[in-house]
Amino acid sequence: MDEAVEKRLPKPEDLSAMTEESLKAAFAGESQAAEKYIVYAEQAEEEGFPNIAKLFRAVSFAETRHARNHLRVMNGVNSTTDNLAAAYAGESFEIEEMYPAYAEIAKVQKQAQASRSIKYALKAEMDHKWMYAEALERAIEGKDADAAPVSVCVVCGHTAIGDVPDKCPVCGAAKEYYRTF
Amino acid sequence: MTAQNIAAALAGESQAAQKYLAFADVADTEGYPNVARLFRAVAYAESAHARNHLSVLGGIGTTAENLKAAWGGETFEIAEMYPAYEAVARLQGNESAQTSIRYALQAEVDHQGIYDSTLRGVEGEKDLGAEAMRVCPVCGHTVIGDAPDECPRCGTHGLHFKEF
Repeated sequence: MDEAVEKRLPKPEDLSAMTEESLKAAFAGESQAAEKYIVYAEQAEEEGFPNIAKLFRAVSFAETRHARNHLRVMNGVNSTTDNLAAAYAGESFEIEEMYPAYAEIAKVQKQAQASRSIKYALKAEMDHKWMYAEALERAIEGKDADAAPVSVCVVCGHTAIGDVPDKCPVCGAAKEYYRTF
Repeated sequence: MTAQNIAAALAGESQAAQKYLAFADVADTEGYPNVARLFRAVAYAESAHARNHLSVLGGIGTTAENLKAAWGGETFEIAEMYPAYEAVARLQGNESAQTSIRYALQAEVDHQGIYDSTLRGVEGEKDLGAEAMRVCPVCGHTVIGDAPDECPRCGTHGLHFKEF
């Protein structure tokens, strides 16, 4: 990040409990707004409103700045090894507790679309977990992650390091639906 | 129960995506470009999950409906959420929190105004003008047209604004 930008950002602070609760809720709100606006941008493009799509993308970016600021104040942005460990823990929670519980309830309640959305996420989080574990092991030794491309299925979020599969093994989407980073 | 769970999952995926984007910036600064790339790729995957959950919840409408929902969200943040949070942070003397809250609150006022005029255009089936939009990378101040020389909210130089 640019130093001129970095130095102006709100700093981590020893927070009182109620203020911390406020910032947690604000972080949740900004994060969801940022994601919603990206989806709204895609919808605007489909309807032939390219400039509204641009507006939604710009405002989404502004919300990501707010989310980052709140997260920093809560001391949630640390060194890369700490960040990888936090990311690994988050994925582990989703895999071991959150999504399996949600999947059971969606099944009992016969909510087919919810079950699908949960399954797509759960499968991808399993990939993310080992990818973060590998990156963390290397970062602890001061080494960067592998230079291989990382590709993501636009439909279900399946994440692959190296070659893109011909067909997504989770949702069946064709190769062209992967975005490579 | 399933609706509540999917709403919670939307919140979780959205926050994970934002965390990973912030972590990617740190990895770049620390000289880990490939870790940064991994964080950005996984953030993108979490965005796909967030979109899927939002779709299941019936949260994706037409552009006119989406603008109304966006305007409603900004209005809630301006009228209720941030003023309440700001008052608590002031009472508790948390300076950094107040700054982070103030930056957001001020930008949401920009967004509310732009969404309002854009919605009126769409109701007459008109797209927004083609003029560029610019966003301050520190505080999220959002303008249509040229960037100011200096951000009026946080003082960041105009050349750092991101153009859309």
